[in-house]
Amino acid sequence: MPYILQTNHLTKTIGGKELVSNVNLHIKKGEIYGFLGPNGAGKTTVMKIITNLWKPTDGKVEIFGETLTPQSYEVLKRMGSIIEFPTFYDHMTGYENLKLHSEYMGYYNHGSIENALDMLDLTKAAGKPVKNYSLGMKERLGIARAILCKPELLILDEPTNGLDPVGMKQIRDLLKTLCTEYGITIMISSHILSEIESIANTVGVINHGMMMKEIGMKEIEQMNLAYIELSVMNTKKAAYVLSEKLGLINFKIIEDGQIRIYDNHVSTQELSKVLALNDVEVIAIGKKAETLEDYFLKMTAEVKNYVEAD
Amino acid sequence: MLKLIKLEWKKNNIGKYARNAIILAAVLCLFIFALAYLGIANDPDTGVPDAAPGNGTISSPIELFTSMSFLIFTSVMLSSFIVSAYKNKTMNLMFSYPIKRQKILISQMLAVWSFNFVTLVVTKLLIYGCIILGSRFMVSSFPIDFNMASLGFYIQLIVKSIVVVSMSFIALFIGMAMKSSKATIISSFLLIILTQANVGDLTMANNAVFPVILIVISLVFAFFSICRAETSDLM
Repeated sequence: MPYILQTNHLTKTIGGKELVSNVNLHIKKGEIYGFLGPNGAGKTTVMKIITNLWKPTDGKVEIFGETLTPQSYEVLKRMGSIIEFPTFYDHMTGYENLKLHSEYMGYYNHGSIENALDMLDLTKAAGKPVKNYSLGMKERLGIARAILCKPELLILDEPTNGLDPVGMKQIRDLLKTLCTEYGITIMISSHILSEIESIANTVGVINHGMMMKEIGMKEIEQMNLAYIELSVMNTKKAAYVLSEKLGLINFKIIEDGQIRIYDNHVSTQELSKVLALNDVEVIAIGKKAETLEDYFLKMTAEVKNYVEAD
Repeated sequence: MLKLIKLEWKKNNIGKYARNAIILAAVLCLFIFALAYLGIANDPDTGVPDAAPGNGTISSPIELFTSMSFLIFTSVMLSSFIVSAYKNKTMNLMFSYPIKRQKILISQMLAVWSFNFVTLVVTKLLIYGCIILGSRFMVSSFPIDFNMASLGFYIQLIVKSIVVVSMSFIALFIGMAMKSSKATIISSFLLIILTQANVGDLTMANNAVFPVILIVISLVFAFFSICRAETSDLM
């Protein structure tokens, strides 16, 4: 599988402290890769190394098929990025900041600045000095700058910080459009799971500097994460019916009166029928799905236990 | 490189510095003119200029005050163009461009250096010109010891300006090492004391070898400021 970006055993140590350790991530061309992790997990460190701001202590980054070195300047032409928070020349207007960016990138395409401003709904504010922008406007201007030169790869470090829910949705929709219509590969980090869940094709979970899991969203959906939650009066009897009458083995008693059935062959209709026929009083029955959030929390809890045990 | 220098001027609002440089030049010109023709440095008892030994001629205060002022001015600009860029993280943005980091840093240093070199030369020419013009109508308190018609005068003026403006690279190195704009500016004050002050009649200001040593030291410090830029992490 050709990857537009991959890291191999990426490690970064500063002052004897290992910020990230043996990180292997793989991003396919044309996908949105959600990079998940709690604060301080090492997301920004990895992104700084990918954008060549920091150099790895060990391991390597392969980007557009080339190994990243301190002299890899050409790859930067093909990337757009926001790391930590977007910085601007505050006395200059939004338009002037984007113009300056084009000059440094060597990108001269008539109408591209206007187009980027329009995409981020900043046309009206383009003539104002950036010092008068709100936090959300600066964040949007940062994204406008990152996409201005039509990059092949977009690296966005928590780009929706400071945005209101409407602004967040606007960015999510924009990223989807950029990916599907313009074929831009996007790596987006966040600690807000719902943000990633709705747009990412693949997620990578990092915690305490270690890559926990890399998994496609489709795989998560197929991983028996959907279950039927059953509330009954008599747990023992219900469990007996499930196992003996329905032949189910993949179910779990969460607490007294509450059972989760992970076996996806049985329908809720069939369940209620069989339970009723066997005199098991059902209080509630419903299909539920483990969200990415549950998955993420499980992952980070696992690593926490691992680190504590260590 | 020229394009990078122009972009540096543009994004750092060079117009503001040009305006300040004009004000500084005007103030210096007025002050030196007052020293020469209005007798503000004269001893009230003797009526003779109260100057340090060896600094009795008019070119001494001109060189002293212009050097002092422009060394500080250059250091302020360097701290604003480079040290502050590291502090307010705009350097992160600069280093995300497909341009060698050393080239970016050199363009920033040259943007400041060239602006201040030209400004300092023009300021000195303006002051020397005013003194010559004034001498047609008035008598200077300080003896006039320069000849604007000789080539040597211009060579010396240019060499001294190069030394002064380049010296700020030492201050820049200190400021970058300490990640502090204040350290850059304070270092420039210390450099003034070191190079322009005198203890009794001992001063390094008029030593012929001293400018050469200073240029070499300045270039070494400029080199140290940029040599590890490619491989170091941008904190």
